[in-house]
Amino acid sequence: MGRDRIIFHIDINHCYAQIEEMKYPALREVPMAVGGHEETRHGIILAKNDIAKKSGILTGESLREAREKCPDLLIIPPSYDDYIYYTGEVKKIYRRYSDHVESFGLDEAWIDYTDSEKLFGDPEALVSRIRQEVKREIGLDVSAGLSWNKVFAKLGSDRKKKDGPFVITRDNYRETVWPLPAADLLYVGPATTRKLLARGIHTIGDLAVYPRRFLKKAMGIPGEMISLFANGGDTSPVAESFVHPPVKSVGNSMTMVHDVDNLNDLRPVYYVLCEAVASRMRDHGMEGNVVSISLRSAGLDWYGCEKKIEQYTDVSGTILHTVMELVVSLYDFEKPLRAVGVSVSGLRPFSGIHQLSLFRNEEALEAARKTDLVMDEIREKYGYYSVQRACTAVDPELTSFNVKEEHTVHPTGYFQGRKMTP
Amino acid sequence: MELYKRYVDVILYQKRNGDIVPLYVCWENGKRYRIDKVLSSERRASQVGGCGMRYACMIQGKRRNLFLEKNKWFIESYQP
Repeated sequence: MGRDRIIFHIDINHCYAQIEEMKYPALREVPMAVGGHEETRHGIILAKNDIAKKSGILTGESLREAREKCPDLLIIPPSYDDYIYYTGEVKKIYRRYSDHVESFGLDEAWIDYTDSEKLFGDPEALVSRIRQEVKREIGLDVSAGLSWNKVFAKLGSDRKKKDGPFVITRDNYRETVWPLPAADLLYVGPATTRKLLARGIHTIGDLAVYPRRFLKKAMGIPGEMISLFANGGDTSPVAESFVHPPVKSVGNSMTMVHDVDNLNDLRPVYYVLCEAVASRMRDHGMEGNVVSISLRSAGLDWYGCEKKIEQYTDVSGTILHTVMELVVSLYDFEKPLRAVGVSVSGLRPFSGIHQLSLFRNEEALEAARKTDLVMDEIREKYGYYSVQRACTAVDPELTSFNVKEEHTVHPTGYFQGRKMTP
Repeated sequence: MELYKRYVDVILYQKRNGDIVPLYVCWENGKRYRIDKVLSSERRASQVGGCGMRYACMIQGKRRNLFLEKNKWFIESYQP
Protein backbone atom coordinates (compact mmCIF):
# COMPACT_ATOMS: atom_id res chain seq x y z
CA MET A 1 0.00 0.00 0.00
CA GLY A 2 1.28 3.44 -0.88
CA ARG A 3 1.64 6.42 1.36
CA ASP A 4 -1.55 7.68 2.97
CA ARG A 5 -3.06 10.80 1.51
CA ILE A 6 -3.30 14.03 3.49
CA ILE A 7 -6.74 15.51 3.07
CA PHE A 8 -8.19 18.62 4.66
CA HIS A 9 -11.84 19.42 4.82
CA ILE A 10 -12.45 23.07 5.56
CA ASP A 11 -15.85 24.45 6.39
CA ILE A 12 -16.87 28.09 6.77
CA ASN A 13 -18.80 28.10 10.06
CA HIS A 14 -22.48 29.03 9.66
CA CYS A 15 -21.42 30.51 6.37
CA TYR A 16 -24.22 32.88 5.30
CA ALA A 17 -24.63 34.35 8.78
CA GLN A 18 -20.91 34.83 9.17
CA ILE A 19 -20.59 36.61 5.84
CA GLU A 20 -23.39 38.99 6.86
CA GLU A 21 -21.57 39.60 10.14
CA MET A 22 -18.35 40.24 8.30
CA LYS A 23 -20.12 42.81 6.11
CA TYR A 24 -21.96 44.41 9.03
CA PRO A 25 -20.08 43.74 12.30
CA ALA A 26 -22.94 45.20 14.39
CA LEU A 27 -24.92 42.04 13.57
CA ARG A 28 -22.61 40.13 15.91
CA GLU A 29 -24.30 41.85 18.85
CA VAL A 30 -27.88 40.75 18.10
CA PRO A 31 -29.63 37.44 17.44
CA MET A 32 -29.58 37.22 13.66
CA ALA A 33 -30.41 34.66 11.03
CA VAL A 34 -30.35 34.55 7.28
CA GLY A 35 -33.70 33.31 6.00
CA GLY A 36 -35.53 32.98 2.72
CA HIS A 37 -38.18 35.41 1.60
CA GLU A 38 -41.34 34.88 3.58
CA GLU A 39 -43.72 36.21 0.96
CA THR A 40 -42.57 33.69 -1.63
CA ARG A 41 -42.52 31.08 1.10
CA HIS A 42 -38.92 30.07 0.83
CA GLY A 43 -39.31 30.96 4.45
CA ILE A 44 -36.78 28.87 6.31
CA ILE A 45 -33.73 29.68 8.39
CA LEU A 46 -30.66 29.15 6.22
CA ALA A 47 -28.03 30.10 8.80
CA LYS A 48 -27.91 31.73 12.20
CA ASN A 49 -25.31 33.46 14.33
CA ASP A 50 -24.10 32.29 17.74
CA ILE A 51 -26.53 34.42 19.74
CA ALA A 52 -29.48 33.10 17.75
CA LYS A 53 -28.14 29.58 18.21
CA LYS A 54 -28.25 30.05 21.98
CA SER A 55 -31.99 30.85 21.70
CA GLY A 56 -32.43 27.44 20.13
CA ILE A 57 -32.90 28.59 16.55
CA LEU A 58 -32.34 25.68 14.16
CA THR A 59 -31.23 25.78 10.56
CA GLY A 60 -34.06 24.59 8.35
CA GLU A 61 -36.97 25.58 10.60
CA SER A 62 -39.59 28.03 9.39
CA LEU A 63 -39.24 31.74 10.05
CA ARG A 64 -42.44 31.61 12.09
CA GLU A 65 -41.11 28.90 14.39
CA ALA A 66 -37.89 30.83 14.79
CA ARG A 67 -39.73 34.04 15.74
CA GLU A 68 -41.73 32.16 18.35
CA LYS A 69 -38.50 31.05 20.01
CA CYS A 70 -36.82 34.41 19.74
CA PRO A 71 -39.18 37.36 19.10
CA ASP A 72 -36.43 39.91 18.49
CA LEU A 73 -34.62 37.71 16.00
CA LEU A 74 -33.34 39.78 13.11
CA ILE A 75 -33.94 37.95 9.84
CA ILE A 76 -31.91 39.01 6.85
CA PRO A 77 -32.80 37.93 3.31
CA PRO A 78 -29.95 36.06 1.65
CA SER A 79 -27.66 37.85 -0.79
CA TYR A 80 -26.36 34.94 -2.79
CA ASP A 81 -24.13 37.03 -5.04
CA ASP A 82 -22.10 38.02 -2.00
CA TYR A 83 -21.97 34.47 -0.68
CA ILE A 84 -20.71 33.19 -4.01
CA TYR A 85 -18.15 35.99 -4.21
CA TYR A 86 -16.74 35.71 -0.69
CA THR A 87 -16.68 31.91 -0.58
CA GLY A 88 -14.87 32.06 -3.93
CA GLU A 89 -12.29 34.38 -2.37
CA VAL A 90 -11.84 31.92 0.50
CA LYS A 91 -11.25 29.09 -1.94
CA LYS A 92 -8.62 31.16 -3.73
CA ILE A 93 -6.69 31.05 -0.46
CA TYR A 94 -6.99 27.25 -0.36
CA ARG A 95 -5.66 27.08 -3.91
CA ARG A 96 -2.44 28.76 -2.88
CA TYR A 97 -1.46 25.43 -1.36
CA SER A 98 -2.90 22.78 -3.65
CA ASP A 99 -4.33 22.39 -7.11
CA HIS A 100 -6.73 19.77 -5.79
CA VAL A 101 -9.48 21.82 -4.17
CA GLU A 102 -12.93 20.33 -4.49
CA SER A 103 -15.95 22.39 -3.47
CA PHE A 104 -18.80 20.71 -1.66
CA GLY A 105 -21.47 23.36 -1.72
CA LEU A 106 -20.49 26.97 -1.23
CA ASP A 107 -19.04 26.73 2.24
CA GLU A 108 -17.11 23.48 2.25
CA ALA A 109 -14.13 22.17 0.37
CA TRP A 110 -11.71 19.29 0.39
CA ILE A 111 -8.07 19.95 -0.22
CA ASP A 112 -5.64 17.20 -1.15
CA TYR A 113 -2.35 18.29 0.40
CA THR A 114 -0.42 15.07 -0.24
CA ASP A 115 1.72 16.40 -3.08
CA SER A 116 2.18 19.86 -1.56
CA GLU A 117 3.60 18.68 1.75
CA LYS A 118 7.20 18.97 0.55
CA LEU A 119 6.55 22.57 -0.50
CA PHE A 120 4.70 23.90 2.53
CA GLY A 121 5.61 21.55 5.36
CA ASP A 122 3.69 20.19 8.29
CA PRO A 123 -0.02 19.75 7.46
CA GLU A 124 -1.32 20.81 10.85
CA ALA A 125 0.74 23.97 10.80
CA LEU A 126 -0.47 24.69 7.30
CA VAL A 127 -4.12 24.32 8.28
CA SER A 128 -3.53 26.83 11.06
CA ARG A 129 -1.93 29.13 8.52
CA ILE A 130 -4.88 28.80 6.15
CA ARG A 131 -7.27 29.57 8.99
CA GLN A 132 -5.29 32.66 9.92
CA GLU A 133 -5.12 33.84 6.34
CA VAL A 134 -8.87 33.44 5.84
CA LYS A 135 -9.49 35.32 9.09
CA ARG A 136 -7.06 38.11 8.26
CA GLU A 137 -7.95 38.55 4.60
CA ILE A 138 -11.65 37.76 4.42
CA GLY A 139 -12.59 38.08 8.07
CA LEU A 140 -14.20 34.65 8.34
CA ASP A 141 -13.71 31.78 10.76
CA VAL A 142 -13.27 28.32 9.30
CA SER A 143 -12.97 24.96 10.95
CA ALA A 144 -10.94 22.13 9.55
CA GLY A 145 -10.55 18.39 9.69
CA LEU A 146 -7.52 16.43 8.62
CA SER A 147 -7.46 12.77 7.72
CA TRP A 148 -6.36 10.28 5.12
CA ASN A 149 -9.76 10.15 3.42
CA LYS A 150 -12.44 12.65 2.52
CA VAL A 151 -15.19 11.19 4.67
CA PHE A 152 -13.18 11.34 7.91
CA ALA A 153 -11.76 14.75 7.05
CA LYS A 154 -15.33 16.03 6.82
CA LEU A 155 -16.22 14.43 10.13
CA GLY A 156 -13.21 16.19 11.61
CA SER A 157 -14.27 19.63 10.47
CA ASP A 158 -17.80 19.03 11.80
CA ARG A 159 -16.26 18.70 15.28
CA LYS A 160 -15.37 22.41 15.03
CA LYS A 161 -12.23 22.57 17.06
CA LYS A 162 -11.40 26.16 17.93
CA ASP A 163 -7.72 26.06 17.10
CA GLY A 164 -6.01 23.90 14.53
CA PRO A 165 -7.55 21.01 12.66
CA PHE A 166 -9.27 18.04 14.19
CA VAL A 167 -6.97 15.23 13.18
CA ILE A 168 -8.26 11.73 12.52
CA THR A 169 -5.51 9.19 11.97
CA ARG A 170 -5.40 5.46 11.45
CA ASP A 171 -4.37 5.21 15.10
CA ASN A 172 -7.13 7.27 16.66
CA TYR A 173 -10.16 6.82 14.43
CA ARG A 174 -11.59 4.02 16.54
CA GLU A 175 -11.66 6.34 19.55
CA THR A 176 -12.66 9.56 17.77
CA VAL A 177 -14.95 8.49 14.96
CA TRP A 178 -16.55 5.29 16.07
CA PRO A 179 -18.46 6.67 19.10
CA LEU A 180 -20.20 9.27 16.88
CA PRO A 181 -23.80 8.70 15.79
CA ALA A 182 -24.06 6.98 12.42
CA ALA A 183 -26.12 9.92 11.12
CA ASP A 184 -22.97 12.10 11.21
CA LEU A 185 -21.44 10.06 8.42
CA LEU A 186 -21.60 11.43 4.90
CA TYR A 187 -24.45 9.86 2.93
CA VAL A 188 -26.31 8.65 6.00
CA GLY A 189 -29.53 10.65 5.84
CA PRO A 190 -32.70 10.29 7.92
CA ALA A 191 -34.02 7.33 5.89
CA THR A 192 -30.74 5.42 6.11
CA THR A 193 -30.49 6.23 9.82
CA ARG A 194 -33.91 4.63 10.37
CA LYS A 195 -32.84 1.53 8.47
CA LEU A 196 -29.66 1.32 10.51
CA LEU A 197 -31.46 1.80 13.82
CA ALA A 198 -33.76 -1.06 12.91
CA ARG A 199 -30.64 -3.22 12.83
CA GLY A 200 -29.38 -1.87 16.13
CA ILE A 201 -26.74 0.28 14.50
CA HIS A 202 -26.45 3.52 16.43
CA THR A 203 -22.86 4.65 16.07
CA ILE A 204 -20.35 4.71 13.26
CA GLY A 205 -18.50 2.01 15.19
CA ASP A 206 -21.58 -0.23 15.11
CA LEU A 207 -21.76 0.35 11.39
CA ALA A 208 -18.09 -0.41 10.88
CA VAL A 209 -18.22 -3.81 12.54
CA TYR A 210 -21.61 -4.85 11.16
CA PRO A 211 -21.11 -7.55 8.52
CA ARG A 212 -20.88 -5.73 5.23
CA ARG A 213 -22.64 -8.42 3.22
CA PHE A 214 -25.78 -8.03 5.35
CA LEU A 215 -25.79 -4.30 4.77
CA LYS A 216 -25.33 -4.85 1.07
CA LYS A 217 -28.15 -7.31 0.99
CA ALA A 218 -30.47 -4.98 2.88
CA MET A 219 -29.56 -1.66 1.31
CA GLY A 220 -27.68 -2.47 -1.86
CA ILE A 221 -24.50 -0.68 -2.97
CA PRO A 222 -25.08 2.33 -0.67
CA GLY A 223 -25.09 -0.04 2.30
CA GLU A 224 -21.74 -1.44 1.26
CA MET A 225 -20.46 2.07 0.66
CA ILE A 226 -21.30 3.49 4.09
CA SER A 227 -19.83 0.40 5.73
CA LEU A 228 -16.63 1.13 3.86
CA PHE A 229 -16.79 4.81 4.85
CA ALA A 230 -17.15 3.85 8.52
CA ASN A 231 -13.92 1.86 8.28
CA GLY A 232 -12.02 4.70 6.66
CA GLY A 233 -11.99 2.91 3.34
CA ASP A 234 -13.12 5.84 1.22
CA THR A 235 -10.71 6.18 -1.68
CA SER A 236 -12.50 8.78 -3.79
CA PRO A 237 -10.05 11.41 -5.02
CA VAL A 238 -10.24 15.14 -4.40
CA ALA A 239 -11.13 16.64 -7.75
CA GLU A 240 -8.70 18.95 -9.44
CA SER A 241 -9.67 22.59 -9.41
CA PHE A 242 -11.50 23.85 -12.49
CA VAL A 243 -12.07 20.39 -13.90
CA HIS A 244 -15.77 19.99 -14.51
CA PRO A 245 -17.11 16.46 -14.61
CA PRO A 246 -19.58 15.69 -17.37
CA VAL A 247 -23.23 16.40 -16.65
CA LYS A 248 -24.89 13.35 -15.10
CA SER A 249 -28.38 14.67 -14.59
CA VAL A 250 -30.44 17.78 -15.16
CA GLY A 251 -32.97 18.78 -12.55
CA ASN A 252 -35.04 21.60 -11.15
CA SER A 253 -37.02 21.95 -8.00
CA MET A 254 -39.00 24.66 -6.32
CA THR A 255 -41.08 25.62 -3.32
CA MET A 256 -44.56 26.57 -4.46
CA VAL A 257 -46.20 29.90 -3.62
CA HIS A 258 -48.96 28.03 -1.83
CA ASP A 259 -49.46 24.40 -0.88
CA VAL A 260 -51.04 22.20 -3.52
CA ASP A 261 -53.43 19.44 -2.57
CA ASN A 262 -54.51 17.95 -5.87
CA LEU A 263 -53.13 16.61 -9.10
CA ASN A 264 -54.80 19.19 -11.34
CA ASP A 265 -53.04 22.09 -9.65
CA LEU A 266 -49.76 20.25 -9.54
CA ARG A 267 -49.67 19.47 -13.25
CA PRO A 268 -49.03 23.03 -14.51
CA VAL A 269 -46.29 23.50 -11.92
CA TYR A 270 -44.61 20.35 -13.13
CA TYR A 271 -45.12 21.46 -16.72
CA VAL A 272 -43.06 24.57 -16.05
CA LEU A 273 -40.37 22.53 -14.28
CA CYS A 274 -40.26 19.93 -17.07
CA GLU A 275 -39.99 22.68 -19.67
CA ALA A 276 -37.00 24.09 -17.83
CA VAL A 277 -35.36 20.69 -17.48
CA ALA A 278 -35.98 19.78 -21.13
CA SER A 279 -34.70 23.14 -22.27
CA ARG A 280 -31.52 22.81 -20.22
CA MET A 281 -30.99 19.30 -21.58
CA ARG A 282 -31.21 20.69 -25.10
CA ASP A 283 -28.72 23.42 -24.12
CA HIS A 284 -26.34 20.64 -23.08
CA GLY A 285 -27.15 18.67 -26.24
CA MET A 286 -28.32 15.72 -24.14
CA GLU A 287 -31.25 13.38 -23.95
CA GLY A 288 -32.06 11.05 -21.07
CA ASN A 289 -34.15 8.03 -20.16
CA VAL A 290 -34.49 8.08 -16.38
CA VAL A 291 -37.01 10.47 -14.84
CA SER A 292 -37.03 11.02 -11.10
CA ILE A 293 -39.22 13.17 -8.93
CA SER A 294 -38.96 14.51 -5.41
CA LEU A 295 -41.88 15.76 -3.36
CA ARG A 296 -41.90 17.56 -0.05
CA SER A 297 -45.14 17.69 1.88
CA ALA A 298 -46.31 20.52 4.11
CA GLY A 299 -45.08 18.35 6.99
CA LEU A 300 -41.62 18.58 5.39
CA ASP A 301 -41.43 14.83 4.67
CA TRP A 302 -39.58 13.90 1.51
CA TYR A 303 -40.72 11.42 -1.08
CA GLY A 304 -38.91 10.41 -4.20
CA CYS A 305 -38.82 7.77 -6.90
CA GLU A 306 -37.62 7.28 -10.44
CA LYS A 307 -38.56 5.45 -13.56
CA LYS A 308 -36.74 4.36 -16.66
CA ILE A 309 -38.58 5.17 -19.86
CA GLU A 310 -38.27 3.18 -23.03
CA GLN A 311 -37.19 6.04 -25.24
CA TYR A 312 -34.46 8.63 -24.68
CA THR A 313 -36.05 12.05 -24.70
CA ASP A 314 -35.54 15.77 -24.32
CA VAL A 315 -39.21 16.66 -24.84
CA SER A 316 -40.98 18.39 -21.94
CA GLY A 317 -44.32 16.68 -22.65
CA THR A 318 -42.83 13.21 -22.46
CA ILE A 319 -41.02 14.00 -19.24
CA LEU A 320 -44.21 15.49 -17.77
CA HIS A 321 -46.18 12.38 -18.70
CA THR A 322 -43.74 10.18 -16.79
CA VAL A 323 -43.62 12.62 -13.88
CA MET A 324 -47.40 12.57 -13.47
CA GLU A 325 -47.39 8.75 -13.57
CA LEU A 326 -44.81 8.75 -10.80
CA VAL A 327 -46.72 11.28 -8.71
CA VAL A 328 -49.90 9.23 -8.94
CA SER A 329 -48.10 6.08 -7.88
CA LEU A 330 -46.16 7.77 -5.07
CA TYR A 331 -48.38 10.33 -3.41
CA ASP A 332 -51.94 10.33 -2.11
CA PHE A 333 -52.24 14.05 -1.20
CA GLU A 334 -53.18 13.23 2.35
CA LYS A 335 -50.98 16.18 3.21
CA PRO A 336 -50.67 19.04 0.72
CA LEU A 337 -47.41 19.42 -1.18
CA ARG A 338 -45.06 22.31 -0.56
CA ALA A 339 -42.10 21.70 -2.83
CA VAL A 340 -41.58 19.59 -5.92
CA GLY A 341 -38.66 18.65 -8.09
CA VAL A 342 -37.88 16.68 -11.21
CA SER A 343 -34.64 15.51 -12.71
CA VAL A 344 -33.65 13.50 -15.75
CA SER A 345 -30.60 11.25 -15.77
CA GLY A 346 -29.30 8.41 -17.88
CA LEU A 347 -28.06 11.12 -20.21
CA ARG A 348 -26.37 10.62 -23.55
CA PRO A 349 -25.57 13.03 -26.36
CA PHE A 350 -28.62 13.81 -28.45
CA SER A 351 -28.60 11.46 -31.41
CA GLY A 352 -31.75 12.37 -33.33
CA ILE A 353 -32.17 8.66 -34.04
CA HIS A 354 -35.04 6.87 -32.38
CA GLN A 355 -36.55 3.43 -32.55
CA LEU A 356 -40.04 3.97 -33.93
CA SER A 357 -42.88 2.34 -32.07
CA LEU A 358 -46.09 0.91 -33.39
CA PHE A 359 -47.95 1.91 -30.26
CA ARG A 360 -46.93 5.52 -29.95
CA ASN A 361 -47.96 8.51 -31.96
CA GLU A 362 -44.57 9.40 -33.43
CA GLU A 363 -45.90 12.40 -35.29
CA ALA A 364 -47.30 13.93 -32.12
CA LEU A 365 -43.98 13.38 -30.40
CA GLU A 366 -42.12 15.09 -33.19
CA ALA A 367 -44.60 17.97 -33.07
CA ALA A 368 -44.15 18.29 -29.31
CA ARG A 369 -40.40 18.52 -29.72
CA LYS A 370 -40.77 21.18 -32.40
CA THR A 371 -43.09 23.14 -30.10
CA ASP A 372 -40.44 23.01 -27.39
CA LEU A 373 -37.78 24.24 -29.78
CA VAL A 374 -39.94 27.10 -31.03
CA MET A 375 -40.75 28.12 -27.45
CA ASP A 376 -37.04 28.12 -26.64
CA GLU A 377 -36.40 30.40 -29.58
CA ILE A 378 -39.22 32.80 -28.78
CA ARG A 379 -38.14 33.00 -25.15
CA GLU A 380 -34.56 33.60 -26.10
CA LYS A 381 -35.56 36.47 -28.35
CA TYR A 382 -38.45 38.08 -26.46
CA GLY A 383 -38.00 36.96 -22.87
CA TYR A 384 -39.25 34.07 -20.81
CA TYR A 385 -42.78 35.28 -20.18
CA SER A 386 -43.49 36.10 -23.82
CA VAL A 387 -44.87 32.63 -24.43
CA GLN A 388 -46.63 30.30 -21.99
CA ARG A 389 -48.52 27.04 -22.00
CA ALA A 390 -52.26 27.60 -21.69
CA CYS A 391 -52.45 25.31 -18.66
CA THR A 392 -50.24 27.66 -16.69
CA ALA A 393 -52.83 30.43 -17.08
CA VAL A 394 -55.24 28.65 -14.72
CA ASP A 395 -53.30 29.69 -11.64
CA PRO A 396 -50.69 32.18 -12.83
CA GLU A 397 -49.57 32.88 -9.27
CA LEU A 398 -48.50 29.26 -8.92
CA THR A 399 -46.73 28.97 -12.25
CA SER A 400 -45.30 32.38 -13.02
CA PHE A 401 -41.70 31.65 -12.30
CA ASN A 402 -38.78 31.27 -14.62
CA VAL A 403 -37.18 28.14 -13.29
CA LYS A 404 -34.45 27.91 -15.83
CA GLU A 405 -32.82 31.15 -14.83
CA GLU A 406 -34.09 31.81 -11.33
CA HIS A 407 -34.35 28.42 -9.69
CA THR A 408 -31.59 26.34 -11.19
CA VAL A 409 -29.78 24.71 -8.35
CA HIS A 410 -26.43 23.12 -8.88
CA PRO A 411 -26.23 20.42 -6.27
CA THR A 412 -22.84 18.95 -5.76
CA GLY A 413 -22.81 15.19 -5.79
CA TYR A 414 -20.16 13.64 -3.63
CA PHE A 415 -18.81 11.48 -6.41
CA GLN A 416 -19.10 14.13 -9.12
CA GLY A 417 -19.59 11.52 -11.76
CA ARG A 418 -16.80 9.28 -10.57
CA LYS A 419 -17.37 5.63 -9.90
CA MET A 420 -16.90 4.38 -6.37
CA THR A 421 -14.88 1.20 -6.25
CA PRO A 422 -15.13 -0.61 -2.94
CA MET B 1 -12.26 56.19 18.97
CA GLU B 2 -14.96 54.57 16.93
CA LEU B 3 -14.42 53.95 13.28
CA TYR B 4 -17.06 54.19 10.57
CA LYS B 5 -17.32 52.70 7.12
CA ARG B 6 -17.57 55.48 4.54
CA TYR B 7 -17.79 54.83 0.85
CA VAL B 8 -15.82 57.46 -1.01
CA ASP B 9 -14.92 58.57 -4.51
CA VAL B 10 -11.30 57.92 -5.34
CA ILE B 11 -9.07 59.30 -8.04
CA LEU B 12 -6.51 56.72 -8.99
CA TYR B 13 -3.72 55.96 -11.34
CA GLN B 14 -3.54 52.56 -12.96
CA LYS B 15 -0.22 51.35 -14.20
CA ARG B 16 0.15 49.41 -17.40
CA ASN B 17 0.95 46.25 -15.39
CA GLY B 18 -2.47 46.53 -13.73
CA ASP B 19 -1.29 47.92 -10.38
CA ILE B 20 -3.53 50.56 -8.88
CA VAL B 21 -2.25 53.62 -7.04
CA PRO B 22 -4.94 55.69 -5.29
CA LEU B 23 -4.10 59.40 -5.53
CA TYR B 24 -6.97 61.35 -3.96
CA VAL B 25 -9.89 60.57 -1.67
CA CYS B 26 -12.90 62.76 -2.43
CA TRP B 27 -15.30 63.66 0.40
CA GLU B 28 -19.00 64.27 -0.19
CA ASN B 29 -18.65 68.00 0.45
CA GLY B 30 -16.38 68.20 -2.55
CA LYS B 31 -13.21 68.33 -0.53
CA ARG B 32 -10.33 66.39 -1.94
CA TYR B 33 -7.55 64.85 0.14
CA ARG B 34 -4.24 63.97 -1.42
CA ILE B 35 -2.75 60.58 -0.54
CA ASP B 36 0.85 61.37 0.23
CA LYS B 37 2.07 57.80 0.36
CA VAL B 38 0.74 54.26 0.12
CA LEU B 39 2.51 52.35 2.87
CA SER B 40 1.28 48.90 1.96
CA SER B 41 -1.34 47.13 -0.07
CA GLU B 42 -2.59 43.69 0.90
CA ARG B 43 -5.78 41.71 1.17
CA ARG B 44 -7.39 42.33 4.55
CA ALA B 45 -10.71 42.22 6.37
CA SER B 46 -11.80 45.57 7.76
CA GLN B 47 -12.85 46.13 11.35
CA VAL B 48 -15.76 48.26 10.12
CA GLY B 49 -17.08 45.40 8.00
CA GLY B 50 -16.25 44.12 4.56
CA CYS B 51 -12.95 43.02 3.13
CA GLY B 52 -10.83 43.55 0.07
CA MET B 53 -7.55 45.12 -0.98
CA ARG B 54 -6.38 47.37 1.83
CA TYR B 55 -4.24 50.37 0.94
CA ALA B 56 -2.64 51.80 4.07
CA CYS B 57 -2.31 55.49 3.18
CA MET B 58 -0.69 58.56 4.67
CA ILE B 59 -3.09 61.49 4.33
CA GLN B 60 -2.05 64.83 5.83
CA GLY B 61 0.36 63.11 8.18
CA LYS B 62 -2.19 60.56 9.42
CA ARG B 63 -2.49 56.90 8.59
CA ARG B 64 -5.83 55.85 7.09
CA ASN B 65 -6.94 52.53 5.69
CA LEU B 66 -8.54 52.68 2.27
CA PHE B 67 -10.24 49.52 0.99
CA LEU B 68 -11.16 48.39 -2.48
CA GLU B 69 -14.17 46.17 -1.77
CA LYS B 70 -15.16 44.32 -4.96
CA ASN B 71 -15.47 47.44 -7.15
CA LYS B 72 -16.14 50.13 -4.55
CA TRP B 73 -13.84 52.10 -2.30
CA PHE B 74 -14.38 52.78 1.37
CA ILE B 75 -12.31 54.37 4.09
CA GLU B 76 -12.17 53.54 7.79
CA SER B 77 -13.20 56.98 8.92
CA TYR B 78 -13.28 58.71 12.28
CA GLN B 79 -16.18 60.83 11.07
CA PRO B 80 -19.58 59.15 10.85
